[in-house]
Amino acid sequence: MKLAREKGIVVRIGVLEAEQLKQLLFSRYPFDESATFARFGWRESPDALILTLAAVEPPQPGDLDEAAAHVVINEPYTLRMALTAEQNAFGIGVLHSHPRNCAPHPSSIDDDMDSYYAAYFGDFVPDRPYVSLIVSLIEEELVISGRIFWKNEWHAASHFAIEHTPCTTYGGEERTTSIPYDRIARLIAAFGEEAAARLSKATVAVIGAGGTGSIVIETLARAGVGKLILVDPDFVSESNLERLHGAVPDDAAEKRAKVEVARRHVLSINPQCEVDAYRGSLPHPDVVDAVVRADVALGCTDQQHSRLSLSDLSVRYLLPSIDCGVMLEGGGGNVTGQIVQIVRFLSHDPCALCREMISPDRLASELMDDEEKQRRQAAAQEALERGEDPNPYWIGAPQLNTVGYLTGVAGSMAAGYALGWLSGRFDPPFERIQLNLVAKYLDVQEVDHQRRSECSCSRSRGSADQGLGYALISAPPHWEKPTRVP
Amino acid sequence: MSRERILRELSLLREGGQVTELVTNGRDYVIYRDVPTNGPRFGLPSTSDVIVPVPAGYPASPIDLAGLPQGSMLLPRTKGGQNNQGVVHVGGRTWQLASYHPHSNGGGPPWDQTKHGFHTYFDHLVSWLERLT
Repeated sequence: MKLAREKGIVVRIGVLEAEQLKQLLFSRYPFDESATFARFGWRESPDALILTLAAVEPPQPGDLDEAAAHVVINEPYTLRMALTAEQNAFGIGVLHSHPRNCAPHPSSIDDDMDSYYAAYFGDFVPDRPYVSLIVSLIEEELVISGRIFWKNEWHAASHFAIEHTPCTTYGGEERTTSIPYDRIARLIAAFGEEAAARLSKATVAVIGAGGTGSIVIETLARAGVGKLILVDPDFVSESNLERLHGAVPDDAAEKRAKVEVARRHVLSINPQCEVDAYRGSLPHPDVVDAVVRADVALGCTDQQHSRLSLSDLSVRYLLPSIDCGVMLEGGGGNVTGQIVQIVRFLSHDPCALCREMISPDRLASELMDDEEKQRRQAAAQEALERGEDPNPYWIGAPQLNTVGYLTGVAGSMAAGYALGWLSGRFDPPFERIQLNLVAKYLDVQEVDHQRRSECSCSRSRGSADQGLGYALISAPPHWEKPTRVP
Repeated sequence: MSRERILRELSLLREGGQVTELVTNGRDYVIYRDVPTNGPRFGLPSTSDVIVPVPAGYPASPIDLAGLPQGSMLLPRTKGGQNNQGVVHVGGRTWQLASYHPHSNGGGPPWDQTKHGFHTYFDHLVSWLERLT
């Protein structure tokens, strides 16, 4: 079967579905295969197709021929999936296992099955991707291959990203180790060579290249992460230099983009690291196109729209994320609290709205264009002069204070947890914590929230662009198109 | 703008018989057709078309403001109608926006995108045109 390779095809799977798949697909291990159908959301950009496993459609008794060692799917199961697909917006996928320690290389039987299914489902629901994945356990490592029929062409899956679960893409893009092992000898001694190899193949998106983001970026680059996607709309100013790793006074004088400075700094640490830098913001569609290709994303801004967007991407595109923030309480020489917050966003976690992390007033003012801001500020002033409440018109956002050592703590912690996920060595032992650097025992608090059943995040897991109607935020039309820093 | 979300919300209104349109004129607006008013009490029309701007970043930002066709005799009798919030030309007509802020201390609950939308904003518009003074 001839496979087109001009598009990067990334298949994303949530950790809950991954566990469900392991139960289903390895149920007849070590010698016999098994299978299931699933539904997939998708997002297409000029150079990539992102597929998200939205739901597993497990077989019912009698749907598979249990007498055969290889997979035989009985017709009622296939027809049921086709009819179900007519009732939803998703693409159809079939996932099956190969025996333990057998490569997930498609056999001629697999070729016949895929040719038949691509045509069969295409008759029921045209213009949707058909996804075929083969999963195997090879020396206890999860190895996956995939091919996708999309717009009358077969494409090979180039990368699989399972939420905080390492896996190997069979026949996918192999990035050679991008940093000399001598430089990361202590990391290898702690986590092993396998972890270092995983980091070199990993892609991490960092949203925000300011004080917190710059230490995150530096930590990831020094650890040998193979590819970084950097996003920030701002330029360096004098007041950034106290905490912006890699920046020098000349950058402020020249008003260089923060992502340009970050990119330069990464390449000075590791010239082999691949860096895509965008001057822009989430949720601009061009930035979303870039970010959803990452294995992990880190949110390092105090912007409400960025935080909400990242939360939305973690739900709809199954992009595991870690958001970090800092806050100095008090001021004028009397600092009463120095707060660091780290938040995990997995696709089944409560979103930023459910966690009450978003200030609606700040969010709305961030999203307005300048004309609307000026009109509202003037209306608020007029309301004050009339003796009325100015808040319906305008609520100003206070300038948040911060210092470099605080952003350094937050960024280092977040980068560490990302490295733990990517290497498969450890997870954040919390969903959301806050700690106060000037309180006894740091006053560590775990903040627990539940998903609200009425929230969009409860209905849109893995839905990708097919769940746009449940998006928590959209890009304002007045935003400039992001630019890619060369 | 989340066009998909807005169309879903407007389809809910259509199921109940309310006609609406999502229109674009540089910026996006929703026009509610023939919203009932308390106008006959003042010798004014019993219905009016109403325009509402789609806020930037919707649904992250609250729906705010409401407008009537410029020159409407209803406008001076509405809450905020004498506080002009701008004039827009949409759908071949000129509209005047009033200072009506139901989700910003204006009488309604605080904006909650998980509960509110252009379908629930219709209730505020009916209330707005019912309480003419």
